[in-house]
Amino acid sequence: MAVPEAIGGAAPTIDGERIPSVIVSHVDIRYRIYGSPKRPEESEEEGAVRRLLSRGSQAGLGVQEVHAVKDVSFVAYRGETIGIIGRNGSGKSTLLRSVAGLVPPSSGTIWLGGRAALLGVNAVLQKKLSGRDNIWIGAQALGLTPAQVRRRMDDIIEFADIGDFIDLPMSSYSTGMAARLRFAISTAVVPDILIVDEALATGDEHFRARATERIEEIREQAGTVFLVAHSRKRINQLCTRVLWMDGGRLLGDGRPSVVNGLYGRKYGRHRQVWKERYEEIERVMTEQGPEAARELLRRWEPEGNW
Amino acid sequence: MSSDLGPEPHHQPPVLPYAEAEELARRHGMTQVAVRPSLGSYIKEIWLYRHLMWSLAKGEVVSQHRDNYLGILWSVINPILLGVAYYLIFGQLLGLSRDVDNFVAFLTVGLFTFSFISATLTSGARSLLGNVGMMRSLAFPRVLLPVVKVISEFVNNIPAFLVLVVIALITEEPVTWEWLLFPVALLIVVVMGLGIAMLISRAVHNVRDLANIVPLITRLLRYVSGVFFSIQVRFANIDDAPRWVGLVLEYQPVAVSLTLVRETLLEGFELRWETWAVAAGWAVLLFVAGFVVFWRGEGTYGRA
Repeated sequence: MAVPEAIGGAAPTIDGERIPSVIVSHVDIRYRIYGSPKRPEESEEEGAVRRLLSRGSQAGLGVQEVHAVKDVSFVAYRGETIGIIGRNGSGKSTLLRSVAGLVPPSSGTIWLGGRAALLGVNAVLQKKLSGRDNIWIGAQALGLTPAQVRRRMDDIIEFADIGDFIDLPMSSYSTGMAARLRFAISTAVVPDILIVDEALATGDEHFRARATERIEEIREQAGTVFLVAHSRKRINQLCTRVLWMDGGRLLGDGRPSVVNGLYGRKYGRHRQVWKERYEEIERVMTEQGPEAARELLRRWEPEGNW
Repeated sequence: MSSDLGPEPHHQPPVLPYAEAEELARRHGMTQVAVRPSLGSYIKEIWLYRHLMWSLAKGEVVSQHRDNYLGILWSVINPILLGVAYYLIFGQLLGLSRDVDNFVAFLTVGLFTFSFISATLTSGARSLLGNVGMMRSLAFPRVLLPVVKVISEFVNNIPAFLVLVVIALITEEPVTWEWLLFPVALLIVVVMGLGIAMLISRAVHNVRDLANIVPLITRLLRYVSGVFFSIQVRFANIDDAPRWVGLVLEYQPVAVSLTLVRETLLEGFELRWETWAVAAGWAVLLFVAGFVVFWRGEGTYGRA
């Protein structure tokens, strides 16, 4: 039996030999948020006492659940660079942390074919420790032995390019320096799956160029790269496939041009135009049947496969 | 608000049914993320990450002492000042120093050992929730977090333990072969501390409100465990108390740990096999129970 058809019309299948590196199946992630009970709309007349009393009677006192990722499924293959787009708070980071094995999914399953390394702006290094101490911790957490860390220490420091700051506490680093150090640590070992969470946004031009080279290297070594970026340009440059997260759901999965297009219809400059067009299609569909609707679609989306 | 938005795509991305996804993963020998490993492979994994454990512990110690001028000296100054206060209040004011021969050494051994145990409780309770950020950035067996806390607390307390030896010498305790058992006794206490930290960290992770009770528990333990009085002597003074209450008080893990350490350094406390058997028993029991309990929660840590 051959490998199933490409999921979501990602990078074109050359033959049936594509090897999956990440399988995400029906994953839900719910967070518990403490100390912020959901309050019903309060009318002015309700006194403080009443409010105090009613607070206690609410279900889950002081605990709220945030449904960050809702039933997301996809399969990623080796050699793919997958961009994740979506607005702030759409569940991108949470999903990727889960893929990296750092945040357990509430339900659903994730399988990995190899080792995942995540680097992100939020990746917490120990603020009070020096860059060098953090390299020890980070590199060993990625599975390096002390001997290997010692051997690669100079490379990591050189790539991070933070000079004498390496022996100062991280709390004295600028955002860009911390981001470079994180990137250097995470790519010290070539992971099978590299997850880059907006880390490149903070670096300067020179660093971004070198980081891009390193991402390319990793992909050439048959790895899979996930990339969260807000710049459409970078996504188009680097990625072979794009996932679109929206309010915790996966709304799009496919070639960058296609998914970016779909994204643009909801959030872009011409969103009103598209809204009207979609309504028009709905109307035509019910009044004149599917054939007429398809005709309209062909007119508005000449590149679509209708 | 949403009326301002454009349309969503007509088609949802295609989804592989769960059974097919599972089959695909199986065929390619992929491993499932965030599942609890078997006990054996969990232990193996911890062994692989042992170097990380030392780095984390070192980092913990360093960052605790970085922010002040005297640094690690505080881990000597603090317990000594506390010892002086306890000596004045409980020894002199309340007259508890009549209980035992060498009250100064009795008190400091009890106090310093207890400080370590209570530190394992408090920092063990925080070990998971205080490191959510780290858990969301690095993958490693989470049991390292409470373990690292205990190790670093022990390292922090080493100067205090050395001070104990000095105090024993100053207060003219005779130096005997039994002193060689001092580190062994401390080791038993550390094993117990590891068990306590693993248990409390999972408990607090599951029900974080428990963190509010931890200070209360340590306070209570401080008062019932014979830190500044002899349980035996005090209990003998109460006429109608049932005997088992005294035994429970004397042989509960914390009290027996203090006795254990006292027996190695103080002449007034002879080595008794009961103390050592019970203390070792508690240590093994708490450690094994703590490890198994923590392991059973692996794969859930980090979502809270």
